[in-house]
Amino acid sequence: MSDDAHLISLRDEVRTWLEANAPKGWRDAYAGMTHAEFAQAQRDWFQTLVRGGYAIPHWPKEWPGGGRSLAEQKVIYEELAQADCPRLLLSFVSTYHAASTLMECGNDTQKARYLPRILEGETWCQGFSEPGAGSDLASLKCKAERRGDVYVINGQKVWSTMAQYADKCLLLVRTNSEGAKQAGITFLLMDMKAKGVTVKPINQIQGDQEFCEMFLDDVEVPVEERVGEENAGWAVAQATLSSERGLTLMELSYRMRGALRRVAGLIRQHGRENDQGILRDFGQLVARVDSACAIADQFLLNRMNGIERVGDASVVKNTYSRVLREYSLLGLRLGGLEEQTRHAITYGDLNTGNWMADFMNSYAWTIAGGSEEVQRNIVAERMLEMQREPKGWAA
Amino acid sequence: MIELSELQDAASKAFPADQLRPERDAAWQLAAEMGWLMMPVSEEAGGLGLGRDASATVLCEMGRVLGTAPLISALLTVQALGEASELTDQQGWIERACAGEYIAMNLDRATISLGAGDVLDATLPAVPDADMASHTLVFGPEFCALVPLDAPGVTVTERHMWDESRRLFDVTVADHTIEPGMFLAKGAAATAIGDALRTGLVLAVAADSLGGAAACLSMTVEYLKTRRQFDRPLAMFQALKHRCADLKIELGAAEALLWARAGDEAATTTDIGSAKVLACDIFRKIAEEAIQLHGGIGLTDEHMCHLFMKRAMLNLQLGGDLDVWRERAGRQVLASFAD
Repeated sequence: MSDDAHLISLRDEVRTWLEANAPKGWRDAYAGMTHAEFAQAQRDWFQTLVRGGYAIPHWPKEWPGGGRSLAEQKVIYEELAQADCPRLLLSFVSTYHAASTLMECGNDTQKARYLPRILEGETWCQGFSEPGAGSDLASLKCKAERRGDVYVINGQKVWSTMAQYADKCLLLVRTNSEGAKQAGITFLLMDMKAKGVTVKPINQIQGDQEFCEMFLDDVEVPVEERVGEENAGWAVAQATLSSERGLTLMELSYRMRGALRRVAGLIRQHGRENDQGILRDFGQLVARVDSACAIADQFLLNRMNGIERVGDASVVKNTYSRVLREYSLLGLRLGGLEEQTRHAITYGDLNTGNWMADFMNSYAWTIAGGSEEVQRNIVAERMLEMQREPKGWAA
Repeated sequence: MIELSELQDAASKAFPADQLRPERDAAWQLAAEMGWLMMPVSEEAGGLGLGRDASATVLCEMGRVLGTAPLISALLTVQALGEASELTDQQGWIERACAGEYIAMNLDRATISLGAGDVLDATLPAVPDADMASHTLVFGPEFCALVPLDAPGVTVTERHMWDESRRLFDVTVADHTIEPGMFLAKGAAATAIGDALRTGLVLAVAADSLGGAAACLSMTVEYLKTRRQFDRPLAMFQALKHRCADLKIELGAAEALLWARAGDEAATTTDIGSAKVLACDIFRKIAEEAIQLHGGIGLTDEHMCHLFMKRAMLNLQLGGDLDVWRERAGRQVLASFAD
């Protein structure tokens, strides 16, 4: 079978499966949910996808549903977007960040223990950022002291996505305060039920509780739960952070393309079909959304051909996040006063048509995962090769 | 099959980035020698039979060097000759055009009246390099024909343009009888040629803009890396870095859209128009910022900044202004979500 024919047949297969298995009317159901009910719905949808063989297409082929080429993964994500299925949020850190960390840097015992559990629904969160270590992650201070067979952890973490539901945590700790700050970091796998772990969800401006604070008081983590060598955790963290390159933004861009339907609906609802100003702004948005899809596609196509230039991912991310903001702002303009009335939010989607919530949610992409400003620095310094500022500024 | 990257390499070798605004007649001759004029002609007719993305690739490279030869119009008219089923000695015309005989066309909307006995009166605005053309192609409703520029009743007047990298002329035609063999097509076939010319122009201007935008940004970044103030290169200031990064990012998105659309035969004229919106808009922004970021030197005639800026401003107007394409894109997508 030719490549094209193979992908067409995969597309049909996924589409047929989704028609039978995708949750029907999930938007209405999700809208009235508590956050805990949302988490349960996410677990159910993940298990359905695991059974269908579409939850972990990026894993190696010895795993059921794994071993998919990038081209096949693209087809699966395109179909998930096309069918407007719920996105997988709760399992994202587990199937991408945790899996990639374990596969690339974990030892055999760790892989054998944790990878199967991820498929059974074990949920992971990330303990990277701290109140004083955001964009400058390497300056983290959460301290780990070696005492015999355990590390004793004290400190605070923040912005841990869905940590209130997590079983395990990918934790970065400081084991050495001397020398280069990157050289004193160690990577641990922490049990979220361990004594001394306190998780506090953060109330966000749109009413979501997607992120948590984590307080760690004398938490003991066995030494066997360390990934890589002591003080070599920074390199492991790079494997974690580079686990997902391009597929999510491709999927999200296509979801936004489909969600232009909501903007079109507002234009009709408010009788603006012949308002030249609105049509122009809508046309501009359409061009921008299409360009976000095109650049995400191009990035993936390059990866399939083994091309990945420094900074390309930053260009894709900033394009998407900027266009997402533009999308929600046009919705707000069209929606008028009605959108200033508070409606129940739909968890887990960026293009819900609840325009104030969508606007506020769009910051998740301009701030999280390397802020827009950090991406600009990468583009300027590494793509355009503009000189870096000398280090060592001190107040 | 020639790869686009090979075309791009060949073009950038023939027209090096550091030689902006190459002399027109030599550039035209070189373009003809490179075989570029054969690209849009089918292989059966002796051409290379390359798609519109091939022409766009070459035009993007010409945008990079502020190309002066009239390739935008020439590639479109040679393509039209390939469709000219009614033209006497079609093959001879194609061969001469591929070899470098320049057939021009107007880039702005014409006023045309074709009376009984095929007597033509027309005002044809913005004809590039009419001084070196033998004929101009007139495409009106239901007909498409060649008019010799040295015929009685034809006047050719050069416009004094701000953009010094291109020369535009206004051509008027009074009481000119079109010989029967000079029609490329009539009726629906002529309308199809006219539509293809209009779409092709939009794509061509967009591609030219992307080349100009990339070259202008690169020139500006290089300047910031070398110019020192406050004991450091200007490029070290984050305020300037972020402005350049934003331009680079927006350019990347515009490029991705244009190349996706250029390679998609199903893309509508409006789809190409959307790509032009982003391409011309980012060229304008980069050229505008380039002068500001160069400081005083950017305001001098000796520096290249103003050449990019003036070409960017002209490109905004050629092939339909951006608001027209924005509105059409808006209407098209609104209609696609009809329920």
